[in-house]
Amino acid sequence: MNDRRWWLFPPIAWLLVFLALPVAVTASKAFSAAGVEALASPTTWRLVGVSTLVAAVTTAACLVAGYPVAWCISRMPERRRRWVLFLVVLPFWANLLVRTYALMTMLRPFSVLDTWFAAVFGLWHGWLPFMVLPLYNAIEKLPPRLAEAAADLGAGPAQVFFKVIVPATMPGIVAGCVLVFIPVLGAFATPEMLGGAQAFMAGSRIQLAFLSGRNPEAGAAMTLVLTAITLLLLWGYRRVHRSEGLL
Amino acid sequence: MSRVATTWTIGVLVLLWVPIVLLAAFSFNEARFATTFTAFTLDWYVRLFEDRELRGILVNTLVVAGGSALLSTVLGTMAAMGLRGTFAGKRVAAGLVTLPVMIPDIVLAISLLVLFRAGGIPLSLGTALVAHTTFNLAYVAIVVSARAESLDPSLEAAAMDLGCTPTQAWFKVTLPALAPAIASGALLAFTLSFDDFVITYFTTGPGDGTLPVKIFSMVRHGISPKVHALATLILTGSVVLIVLARALAGTPKEVRT
Repeated sequence: MNDRRWWLFPPIAWLLVFLALPVAVTASKAFSAAGVEALASPTTWRLVGVSTLVAAVTTAACLVAGYPVAWCISRMPERRRRWVLFLVVLPFWANLLVRTYALMTMLRPFSVLDTWFAAVFGLWHGWLPFMVLPLYNAIEKLPPRLAEAAADLGAGPAQVFFKVIVPATMPGIVAGCVLVFIPVLGAFATPEMLGGAQAFMAGSRIQLAFLSGRNPEAGAAMTLVLTAITLLLLWGYRRVHRSEGLL
Repeated sequence: MSRVATTWTIGVLVLLWVPIVLLAAFSFNEARFATTFTAFTLDWYVRLFEDRELRGILVNTLVVAGGSALLSTVLGTMAAMGLRGTFAGKRVAAGLVTLPVMIPDIVLAISLLVLFRAGGIPLSLGTALVAHTTFNLAYVAIVVSARAESLDPSLEAAAMDLGCTPTQAWFKVTLPALAPAIASGALLAFTLSFDDFVITYFTTGPGDGTLPVKIFSMVRHGISPKVHALATLILTGSVVLIVLARALAGTPKEVRT
């Protein structure tokens, strides 16, 4: 059934022209004189550091908030479980910009807009479903008596959680963290709208470089750095997480 | 333990939904700058529908969403078909097909912008359509592939034993079996395209904004109930589409993003 592989030709060709080629052209721009200058500049790396920190904080907040939620949902009766999962996932499909705008409206009276806090809160709000779903999938697969067995063998509640439950659900934790960290690293609209000038991340730098038209090479350099970090993370992720499906 | 987890879950859900509910509520509020609800009105919606420019933008949005949904459904289904089974290089091919889902939006947007500029292609609705097709293709492939993998390959073989050509077998057996997943993928693609901001923002021409791009620029001029109304309409539209897409895909055993 080798002829089946012919199906792949059109989509792969499309992705080579409109994904691989653009990334390659961007990389070549990043290695132009102005691009290399930006790559060598401490400002670029400070922004990469800030974005990485924001992404790490957001990911941690999503993990802490999302784990009990995923746990709780997996222990619900079947019918209610589907409804609550739907409530968690639905905002993810709803327009991110509209949701960010809704947060702007909600946060306005508290006068925390245009701060890092608002930006991270918005990112947490936006990407929490990405964390809950893989966690839920991992927790749901746990044998229901696993915790009981560990407790019978003398483990305290904290030991049960950190020595048994957490390692057993590690694939879900890793998947959730990757799925939140990557998009937040390159976030642009949310920090721009909620964090204002204070929450200036890599995405805003890229936007400024291209749309002000002053230094697209510097923007290409920043884009290349984000691409490299993403590909590295995905490569590591695929090494530890081998799934039978596409994701 | 479980009581704490339940309370926590309710708290998180409230935090997720309160802004959305507030937004919708305030789109029916009469007062322009109020933080409290004064009186019910549909005035902001009426103003929205009277806005000529907005109607043009809506058409832009629908053209890009419809066009890219169509193209990406064909390409994504092909990818899902080609990725069935195991073969050398599957991991690389699957990695490439799902990459648009995984990379940050801004990376895809900027890379395409750089490509279009390098090729001297002026930005337009067409370039936005190409960009949307690229990320939608991946989503359609994931949705269709979930179904295609569970499809018994001996069905197609049986059809061919009974005298079908491979093409006939595909159209008469495989396609009908995949149809719900394909339709679900198409709806999903339409919704994602309709909702996209970052990629559209960078790959569309100056006069060819879509609704999310319009919201972004409206927000810069301050919050108004008219934006509330527009946002509420977009939200309702995408929720309806997503519910439809899920109903079509059936309820899979495992929940997927």
